Amino acid sequence: MHEGSITLHISADVREIERLNRLVRQFGELHDVPSRTLYSVNLALDELVTNVILYGYEEGSAKEIAVKLVTTTKDELVASVADEAKPFNPLEVAAPDLKAPLEERQLGGLGIHLVRSLMDHVSYEREKGKNVLTIRKRIR
Amino acid sequence: MQIKEEKQGDVMIVTIDDHLDTAAAPAFEQRLLGLIDGGERKVLIDCGPLEYVNSAGLKVFLLAAKKLEPVGGQFIICSLAPSVLMIFEMIGFTRIMKIAPNREDALRAFGVAAAT
Repeated sequence: MHEGSITLHISADVREIERLNRLVRQFGELHDVPSRTLYSVNLALDELVTNVILYGYEEGSAKEIAVKLVTTTKDELVASVADEAKPFNPLEVAAPDLKAPLEERQLGGLGIHLVRSLMDHVSYEREKGKNVLTIRKRIR
Repeated sequence: MQIKEEKQGDVMIVTIDDHLDTAAAPAFEQRLLGLIDGGERKVLIDCGPLEYVNSAGLKVFLLAAKKLEPVGGQFIICSLAPSVLMIFEMIGFTRIMKIAPNREDALRAFGVAAAT
């Protein structure tokens, strides 16, 4: 894997996710990130950005989401998602009860559970009026 | 994403492809729940050509399974790609939904002989 970074600006529209995923894949291929790692990071970013678009921003909002990707010498892919929505820490969302029987399974919390499961480390910060969610995935 | 429907015996087979994401999920939800509301009780989702699913898509599977259970329906998902199966396992769906390796096995589980 090669060292590098890129920042992508995403409009508040779920159709932007496809473009985001394509750009992440291009960045990954250029920096020799294994495709399995890219798959996980893409899904995690999809969940985080979708959440902001659907629940953080008003529909048709002109606000953007900044997604930054960094490949480090420590063989780690680090991505952050920064939005200007009101303070919200998705890591405080209750984890779904995966052992509940079908009729008791809840629809909520699936996305953030996937993010936690797919990544090695996830953290939240409120920084200069922005929500910043940082995810880390080690390359194996 | 494209949604294809076909009937084999009394089993409604729905095949989905490409990406089941936030943009595609509402159409899939409407079609699938519409089929169940219309009386389909044996529903098979063939995910063979499906490459990607996110939580918006996973919710549709959960909604359909929840809708079929109390009416005595059967819901089976088959032919999941390894990367998609991994997501189903991660979210605990392999505990609450029937997953078949391929369409033939799924049809056998419904009690329908696979067409040759």
